[in-house]
Amino acid sequence: MSPTPQGRLVLLGINHNTAPIEVRERLAIPASRLADATRTLLHQPGVREGLILSTCNRVELLTLQDEAEIITETEQSQTQTTLLRFLYEYFAVPATDLQPHLYEFREREAIRHLFRVASSLDSMVVGEPQILGQVKEAYTIAREAGAVSTHLEALLQRTFTVAKKIRSETQIGSSSVSIASVAVDLARKIFGSLYGKTVLLVGAGKMSELAARHLIEHGASAILVTNRTQSRAEKIAADFASPTVHTEALSFDDLYAEAPRADIVITSTGAPQKIFGRSHGQHFLHSRRNRPMFFIDIAVPRDVDPRMNEVEGCFVYDIDDLQQVAAANLADRSREAQAAESIVSREVDKYHERLQSRDAVPAIKALQQQAEELRKAELRRSQSKLAALTPEQREAVEALTRSLTAKLLHPQLTALRESTRPKDSE
Amino acid sequence: MSLLWLKVAVVLYGVAALTVLPAALYDRPRWRHIAIPATVAAVFFHFVSLAEMLNAAHHRLPVDTHETQTLLGLLLALAFLFVYWRYKTVSLGIFLLPICFLLGLVPAFHPGQESTAFPMIHIWWIFLHVALLLAAYAALLLSLLASLLYLIQERRLKQKSPMLPSLPSLETTDQIALKALLFGLPCMTAGLLIGSLIAQATVGPSYFRDPKILLAFAMWLVYVLMIYIRRNAGLRGRRAVYLSSFVFLVVLAVWAANQFSSVHRFTAP
Repeated sequence: MSPTPQGRLVLLGINHNTAPIEVRERLAIPASRLADATRTLLHQPGVREGLILSTCNRVELLTLQDEAEIITETEQSQTQTTLLRFLYEYFAVPATDLQPHLYEFREREAIRHLFRVASSLDSMVVGEPQILGQVKEAYTIAREAGAVSTHLEALLQRTFTVAKKIRSETQIGSSSVSIASVAVDLARKIFGSLYGKTVLLVGAGKMSELAARHLIEHGASAILVTNRTQSRAEKIAADFASPTVHTEALSFDDLYAEAPRADIVITSTGAPQKIFGRSHGQHFLHSRRNRPMFFIDIAVPRDVDPRMNEVEGCFVYDIDDLQQVAAANLADRSREAQAAESIVSREVDKYHERLQSRDAVPAIKALQQQAEELRKAELRRSQSKLAALTPEQREAVEALTRSLTAKLLHPQLTALRESTRPKDSE
Repeated sequence: MSLLWLKVAVVLYGVAALTVLPAALYDRPRWRHIAIPATVAAVFFHFVSLAEMLNAAHHRLPVDTHETQTLLGLLLALAFLFVYWRYKTVSLGIFLLPICFLLGLVPAFHPGQESTAFPMIHIWWIFLHVALLLAAYAALLLSLLASLLYLIQERRLKQKSPMLPSLPSLETTDQIALKALLFGLPCMTAGLLIGSLIAQATVGPSYFRDPKILLAFAMWLVYVLMIYIRRNAGLRGRRAVYLSSFVFLVVLAVWAANQFSSVHRFTAP
């Protein structure tokens, strides 16, 4: 693939697929140093524009480098050497340590990779929404550092449009794939907004606390905690305390009297028998005047009798149910990712064709100019033989040579235009 | 001319009814961008058609059966737009927009021949009576549909079926159902009161012995009872649907009773 006249697009990087965390952490650039690193990258020989994307899962250098008429393998490795030298100088990581983990994309493939990254198709969790914000942040920093101008600017704006298009035209990011976020999603399907909702934690466990934290992040305003060991309940309640969250440690003996206060109950005790039965559900709903209750049962063996789900207004999800929802959502995302890949391919074609059609104009002009110079040179050479011609005859010869040149050039110019014309009208 | 605008409105309701399906069932925002503007445009043309119709019939009240139908359609479309604006959900459009389309279809292509002939002095009071009662019916229908959506969402949550992202939460549908009922009650009360006062002035006390009128007051009592039960017992889900359906049947009976009423019926001009 030949470079564009505007320069050569090169993307070099490592990510979670190619490098272990031990390597990635050596290249990670904190946000506070990203502008400085971008400026350093811009000062590398041959680099005209540049951007650094540094997240916990990837470090990528996107550069627009000086063009070369013919790209040889030596020149390709020279380009990589420039970027490797930057990595070595900036991070003091030897090239030999990095090379096995590096990937490099040029021109069309670099565009494709950038579109895929921003659309979260290359993420560890496909469809996660943070990556687009991270790409935008990298772009803002690079632009402020003066490292992004016309060509990368156009490419990045197109990248953001493609990422948004994929978000709106596919369901790639619409479903949750972790247990905690599935619990939040289900709670929102029941209660709508979680603002002002009360969560009761029965027992202690990492996953139940994580789910509770997710619920707080989405607006839950009160956490009630109960445990067979009162001091443990008090400690967990203290951990959740914040100015916006009301926390309360309840005595385990008061569990059944206090439970109707909670909209969402998360249970994770190690009790060998069920803590909540069907009749408890009926009693709670009666006390709450039929306002719904959501039971998230993370315990194994289970704390909530599954028959409680039959009570109108009680919704019971155990760990298997949550995992099944997460797995189904993950499968949905994979299906949507295929649709997203098609969009990326189409958009890469469109963008590349647009670049090429812009590239064809100077080539056509150069060809026409060269032909005109040749025509004039030939006329000058034959000037002595044409001296006897009248002005009218001289004019006719001029017209004849112009016409011949145009006819000779026509197939080449047509071929050039055809080669850069978009295949599908936009 | 009013029929032309009504035909345009009906076509737009049809477009909205079709495009709301992928928007609501598959959560495709692009289709929502067609369904909502189509509904807004349909409401606009529907309103223009109604205004022209009223203007043309300046000495006579245009409340024949077909025209009443189309006014109900307009109110339902407005209710759909209000719910979309307030709760950002198009799910109710799955049911409401086809109803709007059907309610407009017959009057647009086969206008009614009947109209009520009331003394000039009562025209606007009669119109208010009809409009308020239709608003109450529209609110009741909206409440019933919201309760149905609640039931669908509840079933999916209970059976742990894959979620439909565009279905509103249980709390939202419950709010829509209850608020629609609360809106409908003053409309129905005022509509019946205005109707009673006009009847008293024109027909006299015999009006209140008409079965249609007795049914209308029974409907009001059932409506009040339903709101009382919903609010006090926190009735939701299946039982709320049963209750709303029962009241809706009473409303349909009241509507149908026009055919059997000796004093409250549309008369030939």
